[in-house]
Amino acid sequence: MKTEEEIFNLLKENFNDDIMELVKQPVDHYILCNPLKINEISLFLLSNEELLFDSLMNLSGVDDANGTSTIKEGITTIEGGTLSVYYHLESTKFRHKIILRISTPREKPEAASVALVWRSADWHEREAFDLLGIIFLNHPDLRRILMPYDWDAGYPLRKDYANPEFYHGMKVPY
Amino acid sequence: MLTEFGKIFVFLLVAVIFVIALVIVAWLIRPSRPTKEKLMTYECGENPEGSPWVKFNIRFYVVALIFLIFDVEVVLLIPWALVYRQFGLGGFMVGAIFLIMLGLGMAYEWRKGDLEWERAKIIPPVIKRPVFSSKETREAEPVKSKQLV
Amino acid sequence: MSFLDQQFDDNIIIAKVDDLFNWARLSSLWQVGFGLACCAIEMMATSASHYDFDRFGVIPRPSPRQSDIIIISGTVTLKMALRVKRLYEQMPDPKYVISMGSCSNCGGPYWEHGYHVLKGVDRVIPVDVYVPGCPPRPEALLEGLMKLQEKVRNESVIRKSS
Repeated sequence: MKTEEEIFNLLKENFNDDIMELVKQPVDHYILCNPLKINEISLFLLSNEELLFDSLMNLSGVDDANGTSTIKEGITTIEGGTLSVYYHLESTKFRHKIILRISTPREKPEAASVALVWRSADWHEREAFDLLGIIFLNHPDLRRILMPYDWDAGYPLRKDYANPEFYHGMKVPY
Repeated sequence: MLTEFGKIFVFLLVAVIFVIALVIVAWLIRPSRPTKEKLMTYECGENPEGSPWVKFNIRFYVVALIFLIFDVEVVLLIPWALVYRQFGLGGFMVGAIFLIMLGLGMAYEWRKGDLEWERAKIIPPVIKRPVFSSKETREAEPVKSKQLV
Repeated sequence: MSFLDQQFDDNIIIAKVDDLFNWARLSSLWQVGFGLACCAIEMMATSASHYDFDRFGVIPRPSPRQSDIIIISGTVTLKMALRVKRLYEQMPDPKYVISMGSCSNCGGPYWEHGYHVLKGVDRVIPVDVYVPGCPPRPEALLEGLMKLQEKVRNESVIRKSS
């Protein structure tokens, strides 16, 4: 059983610059990481004998919508800002938990895939790719999972997403 | 006058003619509006891929054969079960011999491995997960980060 | 060209033949065994012993080729809409559609922000009876089926082909 501070310090020793900060919140603290090194950090968390984070409880993508948004003719466009991914980890042996967060720029949302570290991340990453357009590098099979394969109107859970007028000749808006 | 077999023949004739007549009448009066979609192979709404005339695995044949044997066994045992009290020990022995032979055949199949279903080899995962022993102490196999990419 | 694809003058024989065909059709509306979302649970409950869809001659069939009626029970997503359309196309004529529940009537709770939901199945296939509710109770579905039977009872060979 380790606290968030201990885990953060252990990570900081091994990956000094790739671990940015421990963000404290009233309930869940999280560790901000480098999105392109998240696979190595994950592997360390999984295989370190004092940590053994063997369970990825959840992996969720978030559109932070912290860029500059402009509304023109009812269409919102957001420029700049970040898309984030949260990793909720648990060790079934030591019973400690940790939350990791990575933030990628909205224009080029790329993060390393952890699907080879935890197999449960496979479909979660596909979902984050499907709905938010976060590209997971080295993912074994990065296809859309919920939306149709030929959906070309963008990523629906982004805050500036606009529904297309038609899909295969079917009117989409109400 | 018709013999008993003649009556059965009449029954058969009526059955066949009735079915053929129904099919012809239905063919005459039913609406027929074929379209390309309607004539397509039914794949639960998906696009059909390849020919529907696929080959089935030969091992289904063995399963079907075993099923058939035990199906016939049931058919033979039910009339035997109904009357075996009248035949006493002799009747019982006949049924028992039949069942023992079937059981021997089953054991032979089992021994030869015909009931096994060989599976394709599972491709081992790329990353080794920590191996937890059954004891209290669970230890991780050290994994090098180079294996990841 | 079969008998029912032709047009006939209106007369007493045709009226009686109509009655016969309509009676046969409305008494054995076989449905496609097809459920989409939570409404499908209610549809299954309707098929079960308590409400007993079978007394109206509604039997779920495993293939659209043998069916007369498709009950769109649940949310039709855009991905599913293409499949629903094909299932409908593959049913033999005459075929009927019951749209069951708010989602397939008009999009239901997804009408505004549901990026993935077709706002009403009548944008893809022609619907005969709409059953409102979220989800409708089995009684409502039975009512919808009886409305459909009423509709079938008033059909005509002549009017249908003209």
